[in-house]
Amino acid sequence: MMKSTFTRLSRQLTLFFRRPKVEKVVKVFSSIFKNAFFFLMMFLLYMPIIVIAIQSLNDSMNVNRFEGWTLRWYLEMFEDAELMVAISNTLVTAFLSTLIATVFGTMFAIGIHSLNKKARSRMVFLNQIPILNADVVTGLSLMLIFKVLMNVFPDIFVPFPANALFFRISVTVLLAHVYFSLPYVVLSVLPKLSEIDPNLYDAALDLGSKPFDAVMRVIVPAIKAGIFTGMLMAFTMSIDDFVITFFTSGGNFDNVSMFVYGKVGKLMTPSVYAYNTFLTLSVVVILVIAYVQSARKQKKLLLAHSTGK
Amino acid sequence: MNIKKLGRLSTPYLVWLSMLVLVPLLMMIVLSFFRTRGVSFVNAAFTLENWSTRLIDRSVQVALMNSFQFAGTTAVIVFLVGYPMAYILARSSFANKFVILVLTIIPMWSNSLLRNNALRNLFLSQNIVNDLLSPLGISFAWNLTGTKLAVIIGLVLTYLPFMVLPVYTVLEKMDKSLLEASMDLGANKIRTFFKVTFPLSFKGVLTGFIMVFLPSFSGFAVPYILGKGTFVVVGSIIETSYNYNINFVSTLSIVLVAIIFLLIFTVSKVDKEGESFL
Repeated sequence: MMKSTFTRLSRQLTLFFRRPKVEKVVKVFSSIFKNAFFFLMMFLLYMPIIVIAIQSLNDSMNVNRFEGWTLRWYLEMFEDAELMVAISNTLVTAFLSTLIATVFGTMFAIGIHSLNKKARSRMVFLNQIPILNADVVTGLSLMLIFKVLMNVFPDIFVPFPANALFFRISVTVLLAHVYFSLPYVVLSVLPKLSEIDPNLYDAALDLGSKPFDAVMRVIVPAIKAGIFTGMLMAFTMSIDDFVITFFTSGGNFDNVSMFVYGKVGKLMTPSVYAYNTFLTLSVVVILVIAYVQSARKQKKLLLAHSTGK
Repeated sequence: MNIKKLGRLSTPYLVWLSMLVLVPLLMMIVLSFFRTRGVSFVNAAFTLENWSTRLIDRSVQVALMNSFQFAGTTAVIVFLVGYPMAYILARSSFANKFVILVLTIIPMWSNSLLRNNALRNLFLSQNIVNDLLSPLGISFAWNLTGTKLAVIIGLVLTYLPFMVLPVYTVLEKMDKSLLEASMDLGANKIRTFFKVTFPLSFKGVLTGFIMVFLPSFSGFAVPYILGKGTFVVVGSIIETSYNYNINFVSTLSIVLVAIIFLLIFTVSKVDKEGESFL
């Protein structure tokens, strides 16, 4: 008895929603709801960035009070020695580690791709470990290794050059950053490698190229896109790192994240917000330029195809 | 084929990874059974206290509970919010999905500590946005800083893109004719979603879950910044005591590694081809 009423009701309900008018209304409302939800979430995602931007334009040292608009923090950034050191440390580490990780990551990816299936999947698995391992564990592991290496190189934790005005290089931090960005380069290059024809490399060798030239002229151009993605990821990971730098710096090398961490809840120069806003804006500008250029290229290609050239 | 000879290029990587992954892990295991001064084994004494009394200490238990609570809640909320976002994005008729996808990634280029610090400032009763909005008659004083809710909001906003991206990737790759087949066979939209779309996108969900759960479980910066340091988590014990008690810190790290390994092992059972990671 209960069951038949339930079936009848559910059938009526289904029929009600199948009516063209009802269907139309439901469609409109669900589309409004979907868009509203999506844009609300995007807004929440951007809320911290908007707050950082407002803080960078606020004419007061107190981040909790708004006292008028200013651009002075963007200039005073260069006068704050502690922040400048943190910024240059961050950028120099990011550039160097990205460069090293990109070169070696590409090389290792080519190597891994050329292994037999079993060895390859073992290497791919090993390659995931630095990505999936917890940052604290990675940081601690590297610190332990460096502490042991201190027996051989007593100054390993000391950044050099010792009396530099601005940036110094910390070998331990640099190695740590290379360690955690390498897997991202390998991961982005590997899929591109499986797209290329293995006979191309053979052809280059048959035509008299040395193996190194063949790799540089045949394989590398074909995997350019993957290398670029990997490079971008490596840079992103390095510039934003906190935990691993924290454990491997040995206490005398600050990057921007460590600068911020040391000043949470204390008075912090709003210039750091200016730096971050500037960085975010530059990324957006670079992306827009890249997008416009690739769109233009595609348009050209389409035109070339349609005119039969 | 000559290309096979290039395989030896990967040998240094094998050495590098084993040196930096396996050696420290072995060191931690050894260290966890001793009482030492730093990494030096002079006057080292064998002990089981790190694994017995220390690990069941009240403060450690609380930290583990807090970490699980933060990471679990975050992962669930991120899934509930991120999945629909990825779904809307993948099925949308927006003129350019790529642009919108990039928009979800851009926040990752902004320093994550600074973003959470901005949230901390925003969640104080006296904040800059309230100052800006109060002339318009809008009050924006939430006073959340120092609460668990604030920590979870911070974690959710930090790791949301980590769920949206992998789910979007699987949804985008999915064979659309399967959906048409399901509809042709009489399933309605809701049934099609639960019987076809969701099971096929499950790999992406698992990847996203791991990418969100692990860092929010082990991280200590977000709970410190948004919790005003009131909530002890596993990461913060490691952070505060690695300098004077490397032995217990090693024990905790092994516990973390075990949890991570268990999670990944479970996922690899579900996802045999291992293609869902990134």
